[in-house]
Amino acid sequence: MTARTEADILDALYRNILQGEAQPSVAEVRAGLELGSRPTVLLFEAMIPALEEVGSRFESGEYFLPEMLISARAMRAAMEVLRPHMSATDAPSLGTVVMGTVAGDIHDIGKDMVDIMLEGAGFSIVDLGVNVPAARFVDAIREHRPAVVGMSAFLTTTMPQVERTIEAIREAGLRDGVRIIIGGAPINDAFAALVGADGYAPDASSAVRVTKALLA
Amino acid sequence: MPLTSRERVLTAIDHEEPDRVPIVIGVSNATGIKMGPYRELKRRIGVDAPDSYLYDWPELGTAAIDEATMRRLHGDVRGVLDLEPATVLERNRTREPHSDYVNSWGSGAVEIAPGEWFPMVEPLADAMTIDELERFPWPDMDDPTRIDHMRAEAARLAADGEFAIMATPWLLFPLERAFAMQGMDRFLMNCALDPEFAEALLRKIAGLCERLMGHVLDALGDDVDIIKIGDDLGTQQSLLMSPAMYRSMLKPIHAESIASIRRRTKAKVFFHTDGDVFPLLDDLVEIGVDILNPIQTSAGRMADLATLKRRYGSALTFCGGIDTQRVLPNGTPDEVRAEVRRVIGELAPGGGYLLASVHTIMNDVPADNILAMVDAAEAYGRYPLVGR
Repeated sequence: MTARTEADILDALYRNILQGEAQPSVAEVRAGLELGSRPTVLLFEAMIPALEEVGSRFESGEYFLPEMLISARAMRAAMEVLRPHMSATDAPSLGTVVMGTVAGDIHDIGKDMVDIMLEGAGFSIVDLGVNVPAARFVDAIREHRPAVVGMSAFLTTTMPQVERTIEAIREAGLRDGVRIIIGGAPINDAFAALVGADGYAPDASSAVRVTKALLA
Repeated sequence: MPLTSRERVLTAIDHEEPDRVPIVIGVSNATGIKMGPYRELKRRIGVDAPDSYLYDWPELGTAAIDEATMRRLHGDVRGVLDLEPATVLERNRTREPHSDYVNSWGSGAVEIAPGEWFPMVEPLADAMTIDELERFPWPDMDDPTRIDHMRAEAARLAADGEFAIMATPWLLFPLERAFAMQGMDRFLMNCALDPEFAEALLRKIAGLCERLMGHVLDALGDDVDIIKIGDDLGTQQSLLMSPAMYRSMLKPIHAESIASIRRRTKAKVFFHTDGDVFPLLDDLVEIGVDILNPIQTSAGRMADLATLKRRYGSALTFCGGIDTQRVLPNGTPDEVRAEVRRVIGELAPGGGYLLASVHTIMNDVPADNILAMVDAAEAYGRYPLVGR
């Protein structure tokens, strides 16, 4: 058996993340690091392209939630192994994103997918979890100085909480310093405009586009 | 002579035009009204009736609508519902206030804000092997206190003969149950990672559902017109799982469930499935669904009512269609009336349409909009339809 090259490893890493194979993805990251591959090469030439392909397959209707969830899980597992090997200068963050599902709502699958896609795209994520009161968004903005705040609401009954949270951020004098993106089943562009959010994304891969566009 | 409500409903389901479009409201959770708007409704129309809950389950928050209010809402269907076993109801009634509600499956809800309960108790969250499924203490579906009351209720409604009778045994959606037992994301991942395990869990659940359904059908005999089953298969823009995965894993279970109902009763099969389920409609027709609910017009291709009616209108009766994501909570009464008129114009010609809100009328819907919806159905739903 001939020794595996970096190209072999990148190829296998890409394929395993795309197919949602967590342990093999981790094994390929380790194999790459052992071979002396630079962490950024593993990230930018295999892992992120795989995640982008997952997003595009989801948007085109080839992938559904189960496939996307397992790919996100594989990406997360691979990132955990890779992250300690990366220095801040290796892959400068595109910015910090504070994420959360608003108070009164516990739906988190969509938000978690946005987390993983944004992280894959190079953002640093601070996830506040679910049922997050407006005051905790405000505190997190003070603490982490994010470029972007992402809010999720799944129910018509919790949509007003998005507006209240934006209002609380404004009252705290922090609104001008952040871009706010929102999402969730009943939310659309018109609602985003109505409540004074900067952007809306219907799914995780478009959330990356919207976020990048807002910061461009 | 005007038709009785029951005749109106059965005529529409037979794809003929009755005297007006039938209205389904307050019958089960999917066509229900939460306690907030129900209280407001009672005040607005001057009805004095106690606040009681569907399935005797306050944490669900859906009102059991009193008969006077049902009549004011022009409701044409009455529900017969099962109950959790008496021991489970009693255990929950006497538990520490605000502590988790746990049902007979071991799944349940957590109060995240006063009066707001979400399904977060997932007893099989970490299960990964078929052996763990075998060892789990599954609910006893033979407990007679689940269904004892149904027989008399259905017999009374049938003897009266005025309303169509819909049986809605609770917690009998296999995929919904699997989500409740494992958590939605974990179960969906298992569908992709370990289909054998996922299918074993679905099969285990489906067997229990069928056992309870058998008892329900035995108790009701001929005193039932519609049996409600379902599973949410759609999302806002697409499906929860690929058509291929649905067809291999879940469709056979739904097909067997419907076949078993068909063997035992002449009642029509009402299938509830949220979201954009357009790509699965041929499958649902094939396995014998009679009535499709809730026609979530805000979700993807379900917005295209003309195509739905043209392609599936002869095979399916549509129940639902009145938007609960924007129009009912945020629209004016005039906008509600306009939407009712529009949906009737698209779905009601030739019968085959039962008007209902797309899902439970939540606490953000004003009573005026509920009244606008049913009164507009009464006004614009008269056959022959005019102004189309």
